[in-house]
Amino acid sequence: MSAIEFKDVCRTFRRDGKDLLILDRINLTVADKEFVAIVGPSGCGKTTCMRMAAGLEFPSTGTVSVSGKQVIEPGPDRAVVFQQFALFPWKSVHENIDFGLRAKGLPETERQKIIAHYIGLMNLKGYESAFPHQLSGGMQQRVAIARAYALDPEALLMDEPFGALDAQTRVVMQEELVKLARKNPRTVLFITHAVEEAVYLADRVVIMTSRPGKVKEILDIKSVRETENWDQHQKIEDVMDLASFVHLRSRIWKSLREEHAGDH
Amino acid sequence: MFVGSRLSTVLLVLAAMIVLWYVATTITGLVGPARLPQPLEVWQSFVAIATDGYGNGRLHQHVLHSLKLVAMGFTVAVCVGVPLGLWMGHSRRAEALINPTFLLLRPIPPLAWIPLAIVWLGLGDAAKILVIFVAAFVPSVINSYTGVRNIDKPVLEAARMLGIRRFSFVREVLVPGSLPMIFTGLRLSLQASWTTLVAAELIGALYGLGSILNQAAQDIYPAMIMVAMIFVGICGATTTWLLGQVEARAMPWRHERALQ
Repeated sequence: MSAIEFKDVCRTFRRDGKDLLILDRINLTVADKEFVAIVGPSGCGKTTCMRMAAGLEFPSTGTVSVSGKQVIEPGPDRAVVFQQFALFPWKSVHENIDFGLRAKGLPETERQKIIAHYIGLMNLKGYESAFPHQLSGGMQQRVAIARAYALDPEALLMDEPFGALDAQTRVVMQEELVKLARKNPRTVLFITHAVEEAVYLADRVVIMTSRPGKVKEILDIKSVRETENWDQHQKIEDVMDLASFVHLRSRIWKSLREEHAGDH
Repeated sequence: MFVGSRLSTVLLVLAAMIVLWYVATTITGLVGPARLPQPLEVWQSFVAIATDGYGNGRLHQHVLHSLKLVAMGFTVAVCVGVPLGLWMGHSRRAEALINPTFLLLRPIPPLAWIPLAIVWLGLGDAAKILVIFVAAFVPSVINSYTGVRNIDKPVLEAARMLGIRRFSFVREVLVPGSLPMIFTGLRLSLQASWTTLVAAELIGALYGLGSILNQAAQDIYPAMIMVAMIFVGICGATTTWLLGQVEARAMPWRHERALQ
């Protein structure tokens, strides 16, 4: 069964008394445990797609469903990682991760086990009692990712999660997310405008047109990654030097470039 | 170190002011005794009111009485105003319901309520508490309301995503998220309480710092007026300092330093 399904999704905004079409008949399915990245020019509605899967916004027509259930509200089965981290500043790292687990009603011992697991996995050991503002941006986003994974969601929705980080931190986080995603496969919908990031992380990359956003094309990355064995390389720059990677990246670039040209 | 040096600065400035005062009134006589009493006179008035009493009571009775009125008016205002402000900030419906009334009442100065308070409740403490309540209520509501509206939208969305509901949402998201602004409101409310108290006590009060001011004005007793003014200042500063201590303890996450 497909984990996330967009069926004929249109979205219009009302602006200055006029209906503005943002998303035009989006049809997209993300398979169970599949990592799908959406790239597109800014304003194409890719973030709106993610927010509709999260239940933070709703389609004007069409349906969005996760695990066969139509999305009608936000919930812990669809964990979101926000660009601006959206941690609770008044809660420690430990409490931030624990908050959703408590809301799910998990027993204390199980919660402690889950928290310890993700604190270890995201290299947050020793920072359990720190408050978010005491941490660097990269560490804050690790907490947010740990919080999302700890919920054990049916789908993870990430909205440019590394967009607010500096270049070095972003690379480290991308490598860590790849490790996490390979070790711990989940259904992920990942929104980004960074082409390399999409190719490096995703199983499939969805390219969107500029507004009104449509699905322009979908590229299969996973088959290339597996035949060329990208995962034998530890570092992102080694993968990015591979001819197969360069080829995919420039294909997506060209496709996006056409969209920008269409703006003018 | 820092606290110590700040305290000594405060003491130094205070000492300098007293010296200046002494020079201007006692040594040079630049400012006549009808305008500004000499430090020694003020001290003698202080001793007089502290030991023998003035205007129906000794100093500590007046101070305690004023403190009691402020505490009651302020507490009631905060207990009603903060939840109301939080509710208005959180619910559009509550805002639509309450805000028009509030916008209308807001520009009325608290002191304008004194006549009505007297008509309703007489010249006793109840009327004064009502006026203090009115004065302290407005900043509590407005700032709590603003506090909720200032919470980062993604943080609220994250709470919904995590499935945080009702009581837990109010206690662990709404209140702590608005707390910085709530405390801004409390500080303004406290200030307004003291301002209003003195004004309310100017009219027909038996005890209280305002009643000393009133009595001393009638007796043309500038030194006693200054004693009362100084004690209004001391009381206001002390309660504000206490509130600051509560604030620091209520929001430990704002005071921890960055790591590394």
